[in-house]
Amino acid sequence: MSGYVIQRLLQAILVMIVMSVIVFVGVYAIGNPMEVLIPMDAPQDVREFIIARFGLDRPLWEQYLLFVANVAQGDFGRSFVYATPVLDLILSRLPATLELALAAVVGATLIGVPLGVWAGYRPDALSSKAIMGLSILGFSVPTFWVGLILILTFAVSLGWLPAGGRGPTVELFGVEWSFLTVEGLSHLVLPAFNLALFKLAMLIRLARAGTREVMLTDTIKFARAAGLAEGTIVRHHVLKLIAVPIVTVFGLELGSTLAFAVVTETIFSWPGLGKLIIDSITSLDRPVMVAYLILVALLFVTINLVIDLTYAALDPRISRRGAA
Amino acid sequence: MKLGKLLQVGALSVALGLAAAAASAQTLTVGVRGGPESMDPHYSALGVHADAMKHVFDTLVWSGDNLQIEPGLAESWKPLDDTTWEFKLRKGVKFHDGSDFTAEDVKFSIERIPVVTGPTTVLIYVRRVKEVVIVDPHTVHLKTDGPAATLPNDFVRLFIVSHKAAKDFSTKETAAEGFNSGKAAIGTGPYKFVSWEPKGDLVLERYDGYWRGKGPWAKVVRKEMPNDSSRLAALKSGQVDLVNYVSSADWQALKRDPKIDVSTADSVYVMNLQLDQRETTPKVYDLDGKPLAKNPFRDAKVREAIDLAIDRQTMVDVVLEGLGTPNNQLMPKDFFGWSAKVPERKPDPARAKALLAEAGYPNGFKMDLHCTSDRLPGDGAICQGLGQMFAQVGIQTNVNAISRTVYFPAQAKKEYSAFMNGWGTLTGEGSYTLAAMAHSNSPELKLGAFNRIEYANPKVDELLQAAGRELDDPKRRSLYEQAMDLIMADRAYISIVTLQTVWASAKGKLKMAPRTDEDTLAFFITPGK
Repeated sequence: MSGYVIQRLLQAILVMIVMSVIVFVGVYAIGNPMEVLIPMDAPQDVREFIIARFGLDRPLWEQYLLFVANVAQGDFGRSFVYATPVLDLILSRLPATLELALAAVVGATLIGVPLGVWAGYRPDALSSKAIMGLSILGFSVPTFWVGLILILTFAVSLGWLPAGGRGPTVELFGVEWSFLTVEGLSHLVLPAFNLALFKLAMLIRLARAGTREVMLTDTIKFARAAGLAEGTIVRHHVLKLIAVPIVTVFGLELGSTLAFAVVTETIFSWPGLGKLIIDSITSLDRPVMVAYLILVALLFVTINLVIDLTYAALDPRISRRGAA
Repeated sequence: MKLGKLLQVGALSVALGLAAAAASAQTLTVGVRGGPESMDPHYSALGVHADAMKHVFDTLVWSGDNLQIEPGLAESWKPLDDTTWEFKLRKGVKFHDGSDFTAEDVKFSIERIPVVTGPTTVLIYVRRVKEVVIVDPHTVHLKTDGPAATLPNDFVRLFIVSHKAAKDFSTKETAAEGFNSGKAAIGTGPYKFVSWEPKGDLVLERYDGYWRGKGPWAKVVRKEMPNDSSRLAALKSGQVDLVNYVSSADWQALKRDPKIDVSTADSVYVMNLQLDQRETTPKVYDLDGKPLAKNPFRDAKVREAIDLAIDRQTMVDVVLEGLGTPNNQLMPKDFFGWSAKVPERKPDPARAKALLAEAGYPNGFKMDLHCTSDRLPGDGAICQGLGQMFAQVGIQTNVNAISRTVYFPAQAKKEYSAFMNGWGTLTGEGSYTLAAMAHSNSPELKLGAFNRIEYANPKVDELLQAAGRELDDPKRRSLYEQAMDLIMADRAYISIVTLQTVWASAKGKLKMAPRTDEDTLAFFITPGK
């Protein structure tokens, strides 16, 4: 087992090194950020002064090595745009995105799974067909459009909820959260729903397919023959049997929502990571782009590592095969 | 009787107190497209950065609604000799922390810029300054590296910080932290800094000791909302009182909305088509798609044909939905150096075709046209419009409206042949625009830094160099006008439209005079009632 763990760890480190090179070269290839950032009317001497000041006059490999050396000391560099250390910038945005992503993914699961189970349990009922129809909408209607319609309806026409931004925050465990106040919650509802819609549709379909399959198995037949109440069967047997794929999707969706809630954050002016990365791309803020992409890679490599190790713990055959 | 009187007085004072409370409780909430990048005014030269900074800090020279220069923290200025400017500073001005504004602060502010500047560098405003000499607490002499006629214009965005408050926050590592936390964000401006977070809200509180007088709003909140639709939705739902940069599509609808006031102003931005003047240029092709050996844009007839193909009025009416003014030169009308002698440009497709035939392209040719699509309102759409107009005279145009993050680096490497982007004459006078774009590129003279088409006209160069040395305003103006006539006649730069900017506010909430530099300054916005 320990051989397997070491092997996986080494693999993860190798992936991170390769990722960092790809990210660095890729971002470098987009273009020289100084051409966008330096004022257009700046004369040559000012241009050269600034380019040298930010170390962009050095060859690519030197810039990369310098970057790696700094990262090894925990320094991801400073944002070109904000002059502040990149890591602080990213960490200051993380709670907002975490809050939004958790609200969306948990909300989608709590609503989607029961609806999906019902649709699978009574596939021919009118209500099930309505649920499935709605889920198609959730899949096919683009997020940005739904977001704008939500704003138009609930903020502009009805005036019930704010059009965007994050409400007042309350500090808890040293982190600023907005879901602890009514005002903050009212800001959270629309973007969370907007972000949840696609996941909701997916979880409904997943739960329905799982339920339909499970309902035909011997387990359910015997449970029914044993005279168990239908409610008990659904809660104790069906839900347990369809849980594995749903948990997997939950985890992966949480990861991808954290990293890529870009569209929703932009439309709702939500001050999260997605908005930060989009702003950084449009202003070619190279240090932020590089650090963000590397941290996202780290997030996914960690998730995968944990999943791999969990599988190994669950099924010893995997680690034995891997070590051989 | 006595009791009655006392009650009366009491009631009156309560009423007065309530009125005062209502007035001082007035808050102006603005939804802005872009906010500052830091609270350090010397970090960035970006327009949106300066817009926010003008609330907290002051400049030596003020630029008015139409970019005319006026006294600011400096009461007067005059050149003493070719390389010395004298600035007389305003007396009795106090910083937010109560300390006096003196020449020491001016010297400190100018000298910290090279140390703390970010990539969008504020150095451009002080690049001519070699030395700052304090003569007395309210007089400074600025030594320049040569005759610097436009120094006062350069100073309209040179903010003065307190040398006491910012002393410990003036290195690359400490500046952002010191200013963003508010410790060093001590200015002489109309508003005091309360809080700010990047891409978030900037909260400001009125500074009662402001030298121009007390501002109309007790509290100002500037919320950064980059998405056009979201910003407008926030206005309609009452979350903000005022928004800037309304898009042309929304503008049409807003004009009919009874709950909204709109105001428009000509901006400083002119959209210019630029035609590469090198011997060979990469993105022009014959009708079979093979690269042309000779650069057609070096032929004056071809350039004139391209100019005649453009219908500027249609561009304004249809593409920009009315939000613009046709323009025939590199600066908006009436700027310092704008020439009345440049003839109006009228479309003439038939003549354009004839000119192309004369130039040896009877069936036209093919070219790629590159433009930004995300920098200024309507830039991508104007690009599409140009493509269609060129096609009508036989120049098959492949339109590439792309992100500025791709466009500018490629343009700097001279990878394009015909390209269009906006240029803002932020200082309102000719040297800013003409010296950067129309002088042949010369690092030694520090001229022509943005001349990306290798345009070179010796007469223009001569005029621009003479203008740079000329300290007499009317003479200098005439030199820039002569240069402008020549540049526009050469048609390597073809100006198309001046863009307009739109603000929208809740009906009756406020009155504002739109500014040409697009700033949204709370001090100059008055409550409507």
